[in-house]
Amino acid sequence: MKRRNDSQAERVDSIVDPGRRRLLKAAGLGLGSMSLAGAGIIASTPARALATNARIVIVGAGAAGLATANRLSSALDGASITLIDRRERHLYQPGLTLIATGLWKAGTVIDSNQRYVPRNVDWIHASVSEFDPDVNQVVTDTGQRVDYDYLVVTTGLHLDFDAIEGMNPELIGREGIGCVYDNPENASRTWEMVDRYTTQGGVGLFTRGPGGIKCAGAPLKVTMLTEDLAQRRGTRDRLQMIYNSPSAGLFSQPDMDQFLKEEFPRRDIDINWHHRLIGIEPEQHRATFDTPDGPVRLDYDFIHVVPPMRAPDALGNSPLAWQEGGFADDGNWMEVDRHSMQHPRYPNVFGAGDCVGTPIGKTAASVKAQVPVAVENLVSVIAGAEPMARYDGYTSCPLITSRGQAILVEFDYNLDMVPSFPFISPYREHWVPWIMKDKFLKAAYNAMLRGRV
Amino acid sequence: MAFSIFGIFAVLLEFIRPFLPVFVAVIIIELVLLAVAMRKSGLSSTLGALKSTMPIGVIGFIAGLLFAPWLTGASHGNLAGILDWLSLVGASAGLGVVAMLLVWPPLALLRRPTA
Repeated sequence: MKRRNDSQAERVDSIVDPGRRRLLKAAGLGLGSMSLAGAGIIASTPARALATNARIVIVGAGAAGLATANRLSSALDGASITLIDRRERHLYQPGLTLIATGLWKAGTVIDSNQRYVPRNVDWIHASVSEFDPDVNQVVTDTGQRVDYDYLVVTTGLHLDFDAIEGMNPELIGREGIGCVYDNPENASRTWEMVDRYTTQGGVGLFTRGPGGIKCAGAPLKVTMLTEDLAQRRGTRDRLQMIYNSPSAGLFSQPDMDQFLKEEFPRRDIDINWHHRLIGIEPEQHRATFDTPDGPVRLDYDFIHVVPPMRAPDALGNSPLAWQEGGFADDGNWMEVDRHSMQHPRYPNVFGAGDCVGTPIGKTAASVKAQVPVAVENLVSVIAGAEPMARYDGYTSCPLITSRGQAILVEFDYNLDMVPSFPFISPYREHWVPWIMKDKFLKAAYNAMLRGRV
Repeated sequence: MAFSIFGIFAVLLEFIRPFLPVFVAVIIIELVLLAVAMRKSGLSSTLGALKSTMPIGVIGFIAGLLFAPWLTGASHGNLAGILDWLSLVGASAGLGVVAMLLVWPPLALLRRPTA
């Protein structure tokens, strides 16, 4: 049989099966569009990268540091970007409460910084031991001096277990002591304690560190999930649960504060106001709280310890920290303009994440909102323009009230609720925010690390 | 906090990233099966096979309604208000559609060509 040529074949095909060609064309267009979108995501570049030979140093490869590195890598053409952090491991810290209450396995939160460091960023595997902004230099713990034109500080914070007499991290997982912060090993050992407590019962003391802490919702979530677990196990009547707040409130956002002040008594969780944990005697299972009436000692079978938190010493003892005022007293936090994320005394320095002293916002959601502002303003400064981007204090806490339900709390500096999804009420428990927390927020976090959201 | 379309795609990409090889392999296999089916039986027969998958879609939808909360570590008792119930229905409908699309190419291949 004589073989038809290609153009003849095409004509025949279109006559014989015109629908087939239209379907294939549509499928091709669809796939092409998806591929372009996917390629745009995988290899995203800004419309115009700023040409510069600026030397930029980023201190800290946590959420804020990696997101900053990726965004700057895209936004600048020719810059020398250096990331300084000793840690190889990257931890998805918002997942720690789920590990501590038995809902996730420890491995779920463990990742590698290497996966997120852009190729054109130099990574110094060391810690910064000294900030010297007067000469635009940082010094690492290996003695290396690194000069910069611009500095972004994203060190995270330090857990001050030493501020609680008798406490050290080695005690977590022993003598009924738990602490969800700030690594999966602590969280896993805390789960062992929660598991035992909700089986055997007794007195459970739940604490909250004074001042600024990261994920201020975590102590509350651990409390509520522990209570929920006891309910589901049918052991709730064996437990006496007491939440010890160092202040007169449970949450900074007033509506949530009111909700929790009603919810805790409804669930038979007692509240001690103005009780700040200052000491622990592990073998006696006894905790000491500072109160307006003097020290109070309480016996426990389980205690969830939340230590005070502060900026790492290298930052807190540097000129970059607040020198006076509440943020200095609270934790020697880094001084930044709360809206521009720029240092007011060193305009070539920016900060983001847990280390900055702002009224609210030590959460991953705050990082997601702060980093684009810090990067945009840094790029403006490099370009010689005024930094115009503003951070409004956005923070978020998917407040898990029980397994299967959460309230998606989002608010700003004014403590006004600012829901991202108008159809999800920030005043009510729902299944959907639980799914977001349990299934999707880690994906959003990873996209943030890559600088894509 | 606003989310762009690219931002939503970026999050979805991160969500499926751990399963991306399997996801891509399944799509490729399905497309190959579909192409072979169309070549063997023609477009109308192939499209006709899609109708035959509707019972599978219904089973997928019902399975979603029954088991989706459990799969998320929750229970039906956790569903509160229109938001949650509509989400359950929507997710179950999506599950039904996915089940139909997965079964469609092999079913189309096994189907006898229509005259």
